Amino acid sequence: MQKVDYPVLAGPEGYLPPSAASMGVVLPDKGEALVEGKIVTEEEAMEVIADKLLSAKNPTFFPGPLILWAWNEKAVEKAKAVKELAEVVGAKIIPMPDYRPKYPMINYREEINPNHPNLTIWHNKIDTCVFVGVHCHYANVALKIIRGGTNCYTIALCGEYGHEDAMITLRDVQAREVRRLTEAIKRVKTEREDGR
Amino acid sequence: MTEGKVVEQKIVEPEYLFFEAKREPRFITGSEAVREAIKRANVDLAISYPITPQSESMHLVGYIYAQGYLKDYYRGEDELGVMSAVAGASMGGVRVFTATGGPGTLRAFEMFPTWAGARLPIVCAFFCRGINSPLTIQPDTIEIGFMLDTGMLIFHVETAQDLFDMLLKAFIIAEEPDVHLPIGVFADGFFITHTRELVEIPPEDIKLPPYDPYKSPMPVMDMETPPVRQMRDPFVMKSNFISYAAHASWQQEVRAAGERARKHINKYLGGLLETENEDADILIIASGTAVSQSREAIIRANREGISVGLVKVKVLRPFPCQEIKTITRKAKVIIIPEFNIIGWLAREVSSVIEDNSRVVGAPRVFGGMTMPPELILDEIKKQRFLLANK
Amino acid sequence: MSVDIIKISPGFEEIMPEDYRDLVNNGSYGKGFSVSELGTFKELIEEHPLCAGCGLALSLRFILASLPDPEDTVIVGTTGCNSLAEAQVAIHNIHSIFGNQNAVATGLKRALEIRFPGRTKDVVVMAGDGGVGDIGLGTTMHSWLRGEKFTTIMFDNEAYANTGGQESGMSCEGTVLNMAPTGKKFPKIPLPEIARDAGCVYTAVVTPSNPKRLGKMVRQAILIARELGPSYIQIYCPCPTNYKFKPSESIKRAKEKEKDGSYPVREYFSPKAKEFVERLEKRVNETG
Repeated sequence: MQKVDYPVLAGPEGYLPPSAASMGVVLPDKGEALVEGKIVTEEEAMEVIADKLLSAKNPTFFPGPLILWAWNEKAVEKAKAVKELAEVVGAKIIPMPDYRPKYPMINYREEINPNHPNLTIWHNKIDTCVFVGVHCHYANVALKIIRGGTNCYTIALCGEYGHEDAMITLRDVQAREVRRLTEAIKRVKTEREDGR
Repeated sequence: MTEGKVVEQKIVEPEYLFFEAKREPRFITGSEAVREAIKRANVDLAISYPITPQSESMHLVGYIYAQGYLKDYYRGEDELGVMSAVAGASMGGVRVFTATGGPGTLRAFEMFPTWAGARLPIVCAFFCRGINSPLTIQPDTIEIGFMLDTGMLIFHVETAQDLFDMLLKAFIIAEEPDVHLPIGVFADGFFITHTRELVEIPPEDIKLPPYDPYKSPMPVMDMETPPVRQMRDPFVMKSNFISYAAHASWQQEVRAAGERARKHINKYLGGLLETENEDADILIIASGTAVSQSREAIIRANREGISVGLVKVKVLRPFPCQEIKTITRKAKVIIIPEFNIIGWLAREVSSVIEDNSRVVGAPRVFGGMTMPPELILDEIKKQRFLLANK
Repeated sequence: MSVDIIKISPGFEEIMPEDYRDLVNNGSYGKGFSVSELGTFKELIEEHPLCAGCGLALSLRFILASLPDPEDTVIVGTTGCNSLAEAQVAIHNIHSIFGNQNAVATGLKRALEIRFPGRTKDVVVMAGDGGVGDIGLGTTMHSWLRGEKFTTIMFDNEAYANTGGQESGMSCEGTVLNMAPTGKKFPKIPLPEIARDAGCVYTAVVTPSNPKRLGKMVRQAILIARELGPSYIQIYCPCPTNYKFKPSESIKRAKEKEKDGSYPVREYFSPKAKEFVERLEKRVNETG
């Protein structure tokens, strides 16, 4: 039974919560995922993601520059898959077009910025969000701030090794994995509609 | 000195180069071990600046550049300039290498937390020597004490073999996307750089895979990857007028990256430390060449029927807190010999173990003084006597 | 750049903020615009925190409009007012520590040469007088002495403006500023002449009072640096905040200083640079 000293749960956790890594949370290996600080299989995590997204009041996707811009074919393919996933979930999409310190202020209705992700979350009353296509450093900074100051449930679909500061993270996510997640959500949606 | 043309090299998986390739023993100095490591490291650019006892290593890197093993190399104007240029090159997406030591480390110091904060996977060798005033070119590890909290990862080598292996492995660990931090590979000056030992080296016709800048957790500065409206690194405090939480979270992320390195260090280095006879009542914890001297002292102690354990700390950042806490549970006394006046290793160990009154920060020598095994043996015997008469 | 990094992924055009859509549709990448077209296209700089009347901000806009290949340019700034504006520029740029910009640019330029041999990748330093001329003088001069092929542009507001208006090496003798309560005791550093003698093949001193002239010098400096060696441009950037005059008087001050000889506009060419520029002008005249 895996011991979890630091369950990574939705906040608001406090003024300046510690990073999950500094509390001993370790990133998953290939084929695995993290759910609230615990290592699980990718499949199990996808089920939980489906449940969280479909139960959310205001699920929102935050696509980052790596898929917002058509800089190579993989990015375009992944972007397409993410758009479809968001549509199946019935989620809003608010972009993270860049990471710069925005001046004078961000327009929280139309963007999210890693220096103030809490503003977008609060003002739009987002209770569950998905990070995808964001460079890992900025995703981590944003996820920590969100956990500190909001009660938003965060899900990270990471193209590299994952994000322990999110409540749920998958790793090695390319277009194919996004599509698998979409299928899982479609299935759970049907099951729910059938009253199963 | 530049005899021999470049050998056609095949790219191999890191695991093959580290663990599987057949090795031949070569009787070489630490400086030459640096040359052999960089030759196989697929480094794009190296920048140098003279300071004893590091210069020879970088001369040799220059010679292999002239042969064709590196794409570019030059001598910079001072250590701050060199470390800054290395940062610029890393942001441009190439694999870089440089070295320094002692006063050079301090001259460049502002760049070390800057590298870490900027998530630059730079590998820098540090050949430890004393810090002014007064000046000494001789071995002294005081600079490690200053470097411990820069956010860089810190490896400390015991031998030229360690230096060869740790340099190569540092590139791979540093460049992992969840780490992506600079690594300082520290070696005691002269003891490692200028003495010869047998070093097992794999063939020279293999090299590490190249650096992939598109796996970086931050965009590389080459106008080939989004977002274009990107500065590395801006005044985040100015976002929305004030954003101190972003700055704090950024700092936390840098430290988190250091924690993530543990997994990769365990994989490639086989652990952050190594132990022998760890259940003994008397335990020595040491790093660098103090480990070698301790080994010799332990052999002599054993001859006199005294059982002494040894913990060789290979990685100082991230610090093996849990490992040391567990290993020291049974020990009755913990002897920590060091080549510096601060006693930074004793301080690190004392801060993580239960009952640190067991820690003996001795023997300590510095300024270039050697640490004869007799000194350590005397301490072992003294502690044994004290234990027996408690 | 592969121009596609400034193309929005299909399906996401509607949700991108307006300023990005504008950048994609009306930006200056690959279009060969110059200062003359300012006002007709979406500029590379977005909203920034610099003061009203800032000579630096104005010069920056002219420079950005004059870059020969903005889609393949990387900027290196340093701590100061310049990096507060440069963070908002739609070109990759680096801010490291105070004064190390020319060393960073050296490493960056060499890295881009290694990764993109034979392709245009312009590196341009854009930094203030404190960074280029005082704390960074060593890295600046050595990048020139080594012949590193990039352009250094100094925003000369003759003070450390961002930290509250302290005397800098580029302040004029006698000026009373913070840390110089009884007036600066030594003359303004003759950096353009030092640049010329330290290996810069093209050096120019100018103000933003004539945008086309500034634009031409910037373009020239970058094209020369691509082929021949380091170039240096020093731009007088009036600072209303620290020199305590009305923001609307910045350009007037610049013109006055040009006229009264306290900031003479001048250029220095090495023989090869002169030849290069003449060939360039000939080609421009021939193609009309």
